[in-house]
Amino acid sequence: MNCEQARTQFVDYWRGTLDDSRAEFDAHLAGCERCRAEAEDLKDMWATLGTMPEEDPSLRMRSRFYDSLREFRAREAGKRHAFAWLRHPAFQAAAAVLILAAGIGSGYFLRGREISEVSQLRGEMDNMRQLVALSLLQQQNASDRLRGVSYAYRVEPDDSQVLSALLSTVNHDSNVDVRLAAVDAMRKFTDNPVGRNGLAQALGKQDSPLVQIAILDEIVETRDKSALSSVKALAANQDANPEVKQHAQWALRQIQ
Amino acid sequence: MQAVREGDLGALAVLFERHHRPLFNYFVHMNGNRDLSEDLVQDVFMRMLKYRQSYQPDRAFAAWMYQIARNAQADSIGKRKLEIAMPEREFASANVMEENLKRRQEISLLKKAMSRLPEDKRELLVLSRFQNLKYDEIGAILGCDVGAVKVRVYRAVKALGQIYFELSGERAS
Repeated sequence: MNCEQARTQFVDYWRGTLDDSRAEFDAHLAGCERCRAEAEDLKDMWATLGTMPEEDPSLRMRSRFYDSLREFRAREAGKRHAFAWLRHPAFQAAAAVLILAAGIGSGYFLRGREISEVSQLRGEMDNMRQLVALSLLQQQNASDRLRGVSYAYRVEPDDSQVLSALLSTVNHDSNVDVRLAAVDAMRKFTDNPVGRNGLAQALGKQDSPLVQIAILDEIVETRDKSALSSVKALAANQDANPEVKQHAQWALRQIQ
Repeated sequence: MQAVREGDLGALAVLFERHHRPLFNYFVHMNGNRDLSEDLVQDVFMRMLKYRQSYQPDRAFAAWMYQIARNAQADSIGKRKLEIAMPEREFASANVMEENLKRRQEISLLKKAMSRLPEDKRELLVLSRFQNLKYDEIGAILGCDVGAVKVRVYRAVKALGQIYFELSGERAS
């Protein structure tokens, strides 16, 4: 078991539900100081989380619920007689047409009302955020690069420079946490075909199961059919981590 | 819930008594606002009545309930334009008073860290740790498989740990 595989078992370790892989997991922890420290630190956090006191709702909530339940039952009983015509298909179709027409009309009316000063100011802010994001992403220090990724959330979704910097982080950054954060930030750019293609290609280049699963989640989120071949390749890859393979097979079913 | 679905609306009272408290706590963790959370619990139970036909008896009730809860929470964000600034007040609780100072600080710091966690990660911790749902139930709610749930929960705990240690560093200095 390597570090990556061990990290996918941490939650079971904290919950005490490690079974088949217990021996392998223990052996890895015994030999790896870093994983041991992380598992133990976070185990304390997990334990403290479990002792957080619960909130009590107010008494009013219960009476409110019972009042509404009574009202609902009374309404249901009445509705069956009085409003039978509302369920008639002809009435429902007419209402749908009316609402659609009203929606289209108001959409046209509201479009084109933009105030130029506001958009100019916004443009200047965007430039500044872009600069900060781009320069932080180039830093030596991983925590600076993480900050760069968080700045990337604040740029406009059509900012191609920040997008390509993020993609290169996903593909080449030496630190798994930075790569993961960059994948999360890509969510902002998935309306952009370059962003979607980039993520699909990145899937084949990753060796970290954590990053692979995060990318698969993004692809499923966007239902991106152009990523099908990358996902298929991963789902069929004999060398891939079993959990990743299983997740890729699940992702395939979601997109197809 | 099957009884409710088949027309016995009064049976919802049993479900309310069993689930309203955990559900209320889910919302408090998600939005930090007690009043809003009470509204949302009410909303969820009313939606259960309204959409009772969509309940499938072969699926876990908790998964269905939390799916409705997530929609209600998402709709409330749309309406209220996101109350990001979560209150960092102490939640009123009798046990907190009895505990020693160090532990109280620890809990309050942890709440602060939770409130700074991104929403999707916070939700995973609430479901897996506070609501004690099983991985397959969480998978059903979020629409993914068990392996991915484990990895995401690990990442959420790790992110929480980082915020927590940063905050305790701020406090020490």
